[in-house]
Amino acid sequence: MRPVIHTENLTKFYGKQRGVLDLDILVESGEVFGFLGPNGAGKTTTIRVLLDFIRPTRGRAVIFGLDAQEQSTEIRRRIGYLPGELELYEKLSGAELLRYFANLRGGVDWSYVEELAERFDCDLAKHIRSLSRGNKQKIGLIQAFMNKPELLILDEPTSGLDPLMQHEFAHLIGEVKSEGRAVFVSSHIMPEVEHICDHVGIIREGQLVAIEDIETLKGRAIRRLEIHFSSSVPPEPFANLPGVQDVLVADGILRCTVKGSLDAVIKAAAQFEVVNIISQEPSLEEIFLAYYGGGDHAA
Amino acid sequence: MLRNTFLRTLRDQRKSLFWWAFGMVGTSLYLALFYPVIRDNMANYEKILQSMPESVKSIFMANSQASLATADGYINIELFSMVAPILFLVFAIGVGSAAVAGEEEKGTLDLLLANPLSRWRIVVEKFGAMVVGTVGLGFLFWLTLFVGGKAVGMDANFARVAEATVSVVLLALAQGSIALAVGSAFGKRGVATGMASGLAFAFYLLNALAPMVKALKPYRKLSLWYYYIGNDPVMKGLKLSHVGVLVGVILVLLAVALVAFDRRDLSV
Ligand SMILES: Nc1ncnc2c1ncn2[C@@H]1O[C@H](COP(=O)(O)OP(=O)(O)O)[C@@H](O)[C@H]1O
Ligand SMILES: [Mg+2]
Repeated sequence: MRPVIHTENLTKFYGKQRGVLDLDILVESGEVFGFLGPNGAGKTTTIRVLLDFIRPTRGRAVIFGLDAQEQSTEIRRRIGYLPGELELYEKLSGAELLRYFANLRGGVDWSYVEELAERFDCDLAKHIRSLSRGNKQKIGLIQAFMNKPELLILDEPTSGLDPLMQHEFAHLIGEVKSEGRAVFVSSHIMPEVEHICDHVGIIREGQLVAIEDIETLKGRAIRRLEIHFSSSVPPEPFANLPGVQDVLVADGILRCTVKGSLDAVIKAAAQFEVVNIISQEPSLEEIFLAYYGGGDHAA
Repeated sequence: MLRNTFLRTLRDQRKSLFWWAFGMVGTSLYLALFYPVIRDNMANYEKILQSMPESVKSIFMANSQASLATADGYINIELFSMVAPILFLVFAIGVGSAAVAGEEEKGTLDLLLANPLSRWRIVVEKFGAMVVGTVGLGFLFWLTLFVGGKAVGMDANFARVAEATVSVVLLALAQGSIALAVGSAFGKRGVATGMASGLAFAFYLLNALAPMVKALKPYRKLSLWYYYIGNDPVMKGLKLSHVGVLVGVILVLLAVALVAFDRRDLSV
């Protein structure tokens, strides 16, 4: 494993407006790094510094051992990028756009472009202006992957993709990883990326609040659970289960929040006749509040 | 046409270039074909012209000593004192403001710059596309005038007309470079167009009014317009020092664009 992205005290202010503060991030080769945080947290700001679109106020970023600002052209030769707010040349067709970018890169393996288009079920002959948002996103993904970059930087790549395409996307990320290439992927929706990531960095209000192994984070996940029974049940069996909080039993419905494994509460419920189970993933914001916000949920 | 950003930019402009070419050809053809009518009624026009006050002549005819009595004078007054510079300026300023700021505002700059291109390279290629477009239109403009003029037996010095066309193309490129530089520095197309057009108007007025307004007289040489037409290129040809000033201004503005664009944060 070699370091691919390394930031040191990376700080960006837009005038007085905070962008990001003192980020120290390390991403290594063969790793998929999820960069998670709510809207406005600073994900796009970080990514734009990595690409040298904006210059840090303090600190620096090093990619492939090269300075992100001084040696940006060389760095960009070796990365693929998908912007958060994708805008394509509307006057071109998908194939023309990809050809153009391939030319700017001194050529790519065109059979791979065709393979990607096939996998994403994307018609490259169509004019970009006639494409739906989801189809534009596919073109954006293809141009990011087509030069088989050593590092992919993807800003909220799954937005606008239907579930089938998200699956294909995850598959592709798996291939990239198995080839020892690295991925830096941002999202504000944890379930969309958690299955592809090895590590996640959680950013909130410009600050990195945690870098976690994905398994650890999942173990901490809080779920809201609702179990419907065929008749009313007593509250006692659910009272003191490990990791189970906010228990409320009424009208044959149990409502609670569960931290980590659901095992205990499911086993307790199994002694009654269960009609339905509704499990709700927490929003990222709820996780932050629970773990890093000092909220009383964390207790 | 998709080999590089220079060619892609021209490709993007092809429709617009076609209509501009259409307009330029139309304008010079119209002027050429209309010439016999003027020539055959010369006495009347000349009278009207001579009766106009000096100030009006100065403003609308760029202070030229030309008269409609000759083909050169006709071309000078009807084309190069107003119509041609306006056409070329509008074109070049439009292209110059769109060059960097247009892509930045549309948001396509992000993806373009994800490729291994330096920022200065993009500015240079966009500048190149502006030069090629403006020069191409200039050539068409002159060619139409030449062919149309010959067809109606216009007795003009077309070499001098070519020199005047070079001069108007240089003026347009200088103004277009202002738009390019402002757009590269601020990333706002509207600001670029506004500043370049505003300055163009100010330069025009300064050059036209300076001969009459005492307070302005010393400042006439600050006007780019002066270097375009001050030497009366249709009558007397290009003056090397004036060409030098325009070319110098263009190169300085290009350098400003390169440095400014390279230094700043790009907007989303
Ligand atoms: N160009 C800008 N000018 C001023 N503030 C900005 C600019 N871009 C982003 N910000 C601010 O920086 C913060 C981080 O934004 P961003 O990086 O876009 O967040 P994210 O991508 O995580 O949603 C936000 O508070 C946002 O308002
Ligand atoms: Mg963002």
